[in-house]
Amino acid sequence: MNTIHLYLRSMAMLLKSHLQYPTSFFMQTLAQLVMEGGELMVVILVVDRFENLGRWAGGNLYFFFGLMSVSFYLTELFGRGITGDFPSMVRTGKLDTLLLRPRGILTQVFCSGMDPRRITCIGVGVAALVMGSIKSGVEWSFLKALALCESIVMSCLLILGLFMIEGILCIHSVKSVELVNAITYGGRSACQYPIDVFPRPLRILFSVVAPFAMTMHVPAAYILGKPLYGWPLWTVFVTPLSGVVVFFIMTILFNKGIKFYRSTGS
Amino acid sequence: MKAYLTVFRMRNRMELQYRGAVIGGIICQMFFGLILIALYRALYAGNPQAIPIEHVSCYVWMQQAFFRMLVATDPDLLDKIRSGNISYDLCRPVDMYWFYYARIMAQKLMGSLMRGIPMLVFAAILPKGWGVTTPTTFCGLITGLVGLFLGLVCMCALENITMAFTMRTLDPRGMQSLMNLLMVTMSGNLLPLTLFPDSWQKVITMLPYAQLLDGPIRLYTGEYVPADAPRILLVQGIWAVALIITGYAMWNANRKRIIVQGG
Repeated sequence: MNTIHLYLRSMAMLLKSHLQYPTSFFMQTLAQLVMEGGELMVVILVVDRFENLGRWAGGNLYFFFGLMSVSFYLTELFGRGITGDFPSMVRTGKLDTLLLRPRGILTQVFCSGMDPRRITCIGVGVAALVMGSIKSGVEWSFLKALALCESIVMSCLLILGLFMIEGILCIHSVKSVELVNAITYGGRSACQYPIDVFPRPLRILFSVVAPFAMTMHVPAAYILGKPLYGWPLWTVFVTPLSGVVVFFIMTILFNKGIKFYRSTGS
Repeated sequence: MKAYLTVFRMRNRMELQYRGAVIGGIICQMFFGLILIALYRALYAGNPQAIPIEHVSCYVWMQQAFFRMLVATDPDLLDKIRSGNISYDLCRPVDMYWFYYARIMAQKLMGSLMRGIPMLVFAAILPKGWGVTTPTTFCGLITGLVGLFLGLVCMCALENITMAFTMRTLDPRGMQSLMNLLMVTMSGNLLPLTLFPDSWQKVITMLPYAQLLDGPIRLYTGEYVPADAPRILLVQGIWAVALIITGYAMWNANRKRIIVQGG
């Protein structure tokens, strides 16, 4: 409980500090809106030209896009410490100060950053979700709403877990490791679209190694009424749990990895 | 002139220093290219289009290969603007605009060649429909290369215009991310311009952003037949001159009202 309280206090403080320069904050938030709006425009143009993607209609594609933006940017909003700041903490030796304090390293890393500018990106994602669900004529039920919530939470944990890989590698190599972007940002680009349109190697990568398909596409396909691979209902609630599994494994590895941390000495 | 050439050469060598660091970036971008092509192939599977998929794949690879040309910026200049050290540059016996023009050109050229060549070699060995196509005519190859050079000239001019804005606002983030968005959308990096609605294309292909990579790539793939080539190259040339004049005027205006930020 103490940890959560600490996290909330830090978030409130960070928010205040971001709002200290209102004009700059406003400009950057606007820029984020335009950027994510541009991404949505691409999907709209794709739908305009091609009308459907395999068995998925245009409306379905908006829904998949929305689910990815909401999850990805929620993670960036609340987990900025992991998704953005950690490599520079290692490089500059700022991590040393965290080692001295009587709290877990991971807790402190989480408490050290947030990115409220992402709020507009989440807004675009929500708009895409609403648009997608209206265009696909989704009949909402309690189970479907539950599946959506579970999917978003689990996807956030998954994305955090994947970003932690970069953190772990970076403890060893000091440099930030661009290659990991292939599964984090690459996963975002690919899994904005349903997994079953991709060739087998990519399907395996994003179902087993970085299971975006499990946390997002299985529930989303159920909500849209077109179950993925014809899997039964219970899978919709079980497969997203792979998100928490990845997060858990990465937490253990992270705590193991931190033992090898050698300060850069600056 | 000699001074600018020396700056250009020095900056080229600087770029070549970090060969190791780019490997991760190259692999990452190849992966992005493969994802995009897989997606377009899936879209094409049910809905064949007028433009063959081979050209789209080729377009995607070229965009990935020369991505660095679009987005590379001069970090030293940004630092100088923020810290006020730009005042030292006023003492140099060279024209500031062309000094930074030569620097950014070297950075964009070397940076993208270093990344682009391995990527295009990789794309060339991929099976048909996944990799790059050979140009349809010899003329297409030559005009494509000339177009690419003119595109580079335009790109450096655009970059200097962005920098001129930064000198006024001092905070690069807002303006730069806006310019970058215009850059990646309107130049065909996010979605090939050939897949935009046909009515939009008439306008978009006339804008400066389409001159950077879209024009040269279409000349190469044969989307623009050789008979069109003089017209395309002329549009590029006009934009290059216009952008350089605009940028030059902005830099001159800025030089008169430059504010040095403190100690």
